[in-house]
Amino acid sequence: MPEPLIDQKFLERLERLTLHWQKSFPGLVGGHNASRYPGSGQEFLDHRGFHQGDDLRAVNWRAYMRLEKLILKLFQVEPRVPVRILLDTSASMTTGDPAKFDYARKLAASLTYVGLVRLETILIQPFDATLHDPYNCGGGRHRIRPAVDFLEALKPGGRSNFAPALRNFIAEYPQRGLVIVISDFLDDQSCEKPIQYLADFGHELFIIHLWGDEDRKPSHNGELELEDAETGESVKLNFDDEARAAYVEAFDNYARSIREITMRKGGRYIGLSTATPIEQAIFGSFLEAKGMQ
Amino acid sequence: MFFFNLSLGEFTALFGAVSGAVLALYLLDRSRRKIKVATMRFWKPSEKPPEAKHRRRIQQPWSMLMQIIGMGLLLAAIAQLRLGSPDRSSRDHVLLLDTSAWTGARADPQRRLIDEGKINAIRWLRALPGSDRVMVVRADALPTPATVFETNRSAAEKAILESQPGSSALNLQAAFDFARRMQRQHGQSTGEIVFSGAGRTNQTDLPEDNNLPATLRLLPVQVPNRNVGIRRFHLRRAPNDGQLWEIFVAVRNYGRTPEAVPLIVTFGNAPIGSSRFTIAPGAEETARYEFRTKSAGWMEARIQLRDGLLEDNVALLEIPEQKQVRVAIFTRQPELLRPLMNANPRISAAYALPETYKPDVDADVVIIDRFRPPQKPQRPTVWIAPPAEGSPLAVAKSNTNARITRWRAEHPIAHGLHTLDLKLDGATLFTQSPAAETVAEAEGGSLVSTQSDPPAVFLGVHPGMGSLKFELAAPLLMANVMEWIAPEALRRWELDGERVGTVKVALDANTDPSKVQVIGEDQQPLPFSISENTLQFYSATRGNVRVRAGSRETVYSLSLPDVGDTAWEAPAKVRRGLGRITGVDSPVQDLWPWLALLGAALLLAEWLLFGRLRLPVRGAANFLSRFTSFRRAA
Repeated sequence: MPEPLIDQKFLERLERLTLHWQKSFPGLVGGHNASRYPGSGQEFLDHRGFHQGDDLRAVNWRAYMRLEKLILKLFQVEPRVPVRILLDTSASMTTGDPAKFDYARKLAASLTYVGLVRLETILIQPFDATLHDPYNCGGGRHRIRPAVDFLEALKPGGRSNFAPALRNFIAEYPQRGLVIVISDFLDDQSCEKPIQYLADFGHELFIIHLWGDEDRKPSHNGELELEDAETGESVKLNFDDEARAAYVEAFDNYARSIREITMRKGGRYIGLSTATPIEQAIFGSFLEAKGMQ
Repeated sequence: MFFFNLSLGEFTALFGAVSGAVLALYLLDRSRRKIKVATMRFWKPSEKPPEAKHRRRIQQPWSMLMQIIGMGLLLAAIAQLRLGSPDRSSRDHVLLLDTSAWTGARADPQRRLIDEGKINAIRWLRALPGSDRVMVVRADALPTPATVFETNRSAAEKAILESQPGSSALNLQAAFDFARRMQRQHGQSTGEIVFSGAGRTNQTDLPEDNNLPATLRLLPVQVPNRNVGIRRFHLRRAPNDGQLWEIFVAVRNYGRTPEAVPLIVTFGNAPIGSSRFTIAPGAEETARYEFRTKSAGWMEARIQLRDGLLEDNVALLEIPEQKQVRVAIFTRQPELLRPLMNANPRISAAYALPETYKPDVDADVVIIDRFRPPQKPQRPTVWIAPPAEGSPLAVAKSNTNARITRWRAEHPIAHGLHTLDLKLDGATLFTQSPAAETVAEAEGGSLVSTQSDPPAVFLGVHPGMGSLKFELAAPLLMANVMEWIAPEALRRWELDGERVGTVKVALDANTDPSKVQVIGEDQQPLPFSISENTLQFYSATRGNVRVRAGSRETVYSLSLPDVGDTAWEAPAKVRRGLGRITGVDSPVQDLWPWLALLGAALLLAEWLLFGRLRLPVRGAANFLSRFTSFRRAA
């Protein structure tokens, strides 16, 4: 039996957290502020006359009994800041011990639960080179189970390409909000520019950069035959301590560049090794980076 | 502690070789390691050329150590490392289980001797150390191995339980010799020779006391005190009366006290004779009866006594029907042949004139006396002086004076005929040809010839006429002719109820050994030997055996069990009962299953901890590394 993505005890610990963002998005409210826009909310706002095509479920039948007129109840809409989680499902996420993909799904589930507890609307958007079918949830903590089921059903694969994926994302979701990107950012093309483009569009970025220990510092020495998890290409090379030092430096430089772009655009960046326990990551790195409070 | 399969030197050499090979493979590992990586973008090859040897030192000592220890444990399992002393390791025992006919006897009504023998044998078997090998041998007249030397106790017990009393007597000397030979040929370390049973054997098969196996152990059983049995039941026709049977019954007292034995002989359940005699211990009495019958049936001899072994109280013989040979004689002078035909009571002759001849006459043999039938008969035929025209065998001379010059002694018809220079008037001489076999020759042709298919005898002279009429050769010639042409019907029968085992038959003085046949129950010939006119054959199973010697056939109904006539008394020095079996107090313990499991577990753990699988037991590997560091620091 596979290990559950998230257990009940951990969920209870997550309930005291809140997703945090810094930006103010025009026309939207976060947290618990009510709106004056009528719509399909829960709180009563006003009455108006019934018109053809209106929803019969919203008719005030008591008023009709008294006045013999069809009067419609209006409810106030709750325009909250959308929280969207971009989850990398490319084949490179399958490497590492534990696999980055499993770690990313656990993180996504934890963030979704934190958002649901605070009645946020959460969108989970899997992607590799393109966007896959998303999952939208909201309405309270009891909606976490379908979200977890969705995450558990995801299968990794495909090549990652941030540029077209984020371009489609911006086109698909023009409303600004908080965008949490969980990925290893190991795109053969550079992914700094797409991230910058996402931030420039008006989204607030929360970058979670995952790596395995072997991704950052390979332990093997000698003659190696490397196989790319995404492309399947193989390369034969000789690897030693000097080459390892150069590798680590290049990796750290790359991570640093992503961090700098994110920070420069007012976002937050967390670099995480999959060897870090999830609880330690949430209650340590996330709080320190003020991604949550 | 010792190695069962290898010597210490061999084990050390093998272990050294395996360890060296593992180490060399570890250090000389030049295989390119395949790694699946998330991206290629950070990988840059080293600027240094690859080193000739990848491992100049042991990078994972725990992995190396676990591999070598695992290999060593597996090697020790293969070498069968054992706890204990080598001289108490596996020994090879032979269990001789008495399955002679006597083991069918009962000392008490509920249990046969063989059942007691089985119980004792299984008790002894279960008391043996597990590493000892046992061969189960069923001992009667011939020792027969039921299992090979093996440690599988359930197979040995199954062989013991499946054993049943046989029909032959125990040959104890042969059983001991066989057991010793088996231990010498197949045994690794000589164990015990265990005899479980009654030990009743024949006097000739007793072992010599000074030649008993040194490791002999007896598991004796309680034997019944009294037993009387039929030793032989013999029937034969009286020489002068074909319908009179002479019956002989021999009875023996195997017990230790005199027995009053009532014996009754019945034919078709009708009593034909009875006797009552007192037989001393170890003595044998014979009763004789006569009985007249032509019909077939079963004759039974029975001792009406309840003793230890019931199987030898009854003997049964089947008497065949007294068959008559019907002979149709076509002749104008029946008075010439009548004395010759009447000489044999088993021939029934019918005389008729040649005018009444029919080719399909209802008879076993046809005699055609000096005329030419319109058609050849469809039965075996005796032609007496056939006319030259129309004779089935070409006639060289007819109605001539002839003189017998030679009898072909190898032909059955010429058996006992030596008359020569006899002047025969009016004889017919046949042309000698490959189609016919000459029996008697005269100058100018054959006087007596035979053809095999269909059987036919050609007589060139009438045996009841002329000078031959007064010769002794005439009835003998006619008797030989009838025996040759109807052998089955004219064969002399004797019936003998015998014990299973070796049977000796006294042959007639002039019996040709090449004509003797011994045929078993399955109609297959049995091996036999003839020495000093005595035929000897052996059968270990019950059934009928026919001995044919010329015109005499004896049917041996081997239905009586062969009960040994002597009870073997083992010397006092021979161990008896279960007693203490060497090796039971400090049995050798097999360690190889545990060593194999431990070795396999160690190699599996090494693979999990350090191999490519690298399960989440990395913590354990880390622990081992930390432990190493701790020890190093300490």
